[in-house]
Amino acid sequence: MTDGVALTGAAWTHAADDAALAPLAEPLRTRALRAERVTRLVLVAGSRALELAGLAVDAGPPRVDVGVVLGTMLGCFLTNAAYAERLAEAGPPGASPRLFAATVSNAAAGELAIACRLGGPTATLSAGRASGLVALGHAVDLVRDGRATTIVAGGADATGEAATRWTRDAALGLAPGDAAALAVLEPLAVARARGAAILGTLLGWGAAFEPRAGASGGDAALDAALRDAGLRRADVARIVGATTAEGRPDPLAACGPLALVATLAETPPGTAIAVVATCPTGHAAAVVARAGDVA
Amino acid sequence: MITGCGVVSPLGIGVPAFWDGLVAGRTAVGPIVRFDTADLDPRHAAEVADFPTADPDRAGAFLLRAATEACTEAGLDVATLDPDRVGAVIGTTLGGMQIFERWLAGGDVATTEAERIPYHAPAVRLARALGCRGPVATPQLACASSTHAIALAADWVRRGRADVVLAGGTDLLCRFVVAGFNCLRATAETARPFDVRRRGLVLGEGAAVVVVESMDAAARRGADVVARVLGVGGAGDAVHMTAPDREGGGAARAIAAALGDAGIRAGEVDFVSAHGTGTPYNDAMEAAALGRLFEPQAVPVNSIKGAIGHTLGAAGAFEAVMCTRVLATGTVPPTAGLEELDPACAGLDVVHGAARSEDVAVVLTTSSGFAGTNAAVVFGRA
Repeated sequence: MTDGVALTGAAWTHAADDAALAPLAEPLRTRALRAERVTRLVLVAGSRALELAGLAVDAGPPRVDVGVVLGTMLGCFLTNAAYAERLAEAGPPGASPRLFAATVSNAAAGELAIACRLGGPTATLSAGRASGLVALGHAVDLVRDGRATTIVAGGADATGEAATRWTRDAALGLAPGDAAALAVLEPLAVARARGAAILGTLLGWGAAFEPRAGASGGDAALDAALRDAGLRRADVARIVGATTAEGRPDPLAACGPLALVATLAETPPGTAIAVVATCPTGHAAAVVARAGDVA
Repeated sequence: MITGCGVVSPLGIGVPAFWDGLVAGRTAVGPIVRFDTADLDPRHAAEVADFPTADPDRAGAFLLRAATEACTEAGLDVATLDPDRVGAVIGTTLGGMQIFERWLAGGDVATTEAERIPYHAPAVRLARALGCRGPVATPQLACASSTHAIALAADWVRRGRADVVLAGGTDLLCRFVVAGFNCLRATAETARPFDVRRRGLVLGEGAAVVVVESMDAAARRGADVVARVLGVGGAGDAVHMTAPDREGGGAARAIAAALGDAGIRAGEVDFVSAHGTGTPYNDAMEAAALGRLFEPQAVPVNSIKGAIGHTLGAAGAFEAVMCTRVLATGTVPPTAGLEELDPACAGLDVVHGAARSEDVAVVLTTSSGFAGTNAAVVFGRA
């Protein structure tokens, strides 16, 4: 195992409407108002996580040691649908430059980077419902390797008619919901030195894939995360599955980060926990963490 | 280590056809013939020809073919490996867009086809075909997606998360993307990277895959090493959603990070595979970034987008495959489409006209994309 990575700010949201954007400061609010749904969610949660970590900046040159890693299952799916519908209806004259520019799933991370001046490593990763934990894991590796001092990382997905229809037609058994959950990660020593409140320490992560339909790679992902953390299952007090109750909207990529933050908040400091996210696509990921400021 | 490569390219199916076309300075750009373009302007691109398939998942079919070639070159039979130690990282910007267009229009789409619509679908399809049980992900970094895919695969192998990772990218041409770039006024009929007359990019399609493997795993199998991954890096511009940072700030930081990760100085790089889209802003941005990093001596640079078009999420992987052949042969393919170097790019030694022989031990490939994303990888000779 390796150096622990401190989690010093975390925020989440399930609301992407104009009212949810009202509390945002300018120029972030204006940026969010003209953005697509998933980007709105990311701007709200990401900017708030940085604020809670005491690292909010909205002007000046890009901070070259601060990056963003976002996980998303559907990404720009809704934007793709909106753009393609206009193209189909009106032909090329109906193609919207604004919408087309947002038909990349890294648009949300890019908007957050511009708004919050994040000039360090930037990545958007897709791994089904495990996307958010894979993003947190990649961020952990970037921080461990010294490639960034701070990474805002987590997961986000947005729902709409096209997304709901697609998950039904693909028989995934998921009902997408609006959700973004992002956290600020930094080296433990850096977080302590600047006196940041440390919500938890990420000790390791792992990912796996299950090629057989109906089976889960969750156990393999958990084992990989424990190996990375240098722990055994017996060392972990709680193993939490990032599941969604039947009939409830599924936060998709945000499910893992949401479960991680909630579990850390209710766990006594020093206690190790694990969060596992799986997906009918076959993707799985797990993160092992210890609550509070105890490496 | 890179132990195998495979491509489905507009210059031909398979690495030999791709490489021979690049070295000869050929271009695959021409009028689009596979779908109706009567209302599109421009309507030129680099299509993959001679790839007969009824597979509605064109990008997925490209990917499986490229991966098969990569595994063959690597002498890799995934079925003989521990599946828990095999992963896949495949970038794309369109994935199952061809199916998506039909699905959105209310066409008859089977459940198995619907599964192949989203961006994670090509990686999932490959992972299922291989029986992978290791980590699988789809980098979504627009036109830098597959450069980041190779970087992520190298990271996973270095950290012991997998022994073998198939990494690369796949994308396809369709109305969605051609109309999109046209409406941004970013396209032209001819790709002219770094040329004074460049007007825009020309789209392409295809797939490129490399086998990224740990040194121990390659040695256990007795596999030949094609190239080494020496370092990787990435950075955001944090400037604009579609236009690059005019000063190339993010690109320069990504390159510097990759060089730092490799533990080498810029002066040790023998060749640079540029993003080189042929848009006025991208090429000027790269000239600024490379000029700053490699000053005072110019390093040979090329772009292959005049030959195969801009293959978007597959572009970086195609360029990585080209880099492995440059390292193996010492031959740098010319930049097809470049006739008169833009004075604004005069600080660059852009190889054009004919292939050039160089003593090449270390190469750098760099990619940039929408939302201000940048990725770079440094490769070394086997």
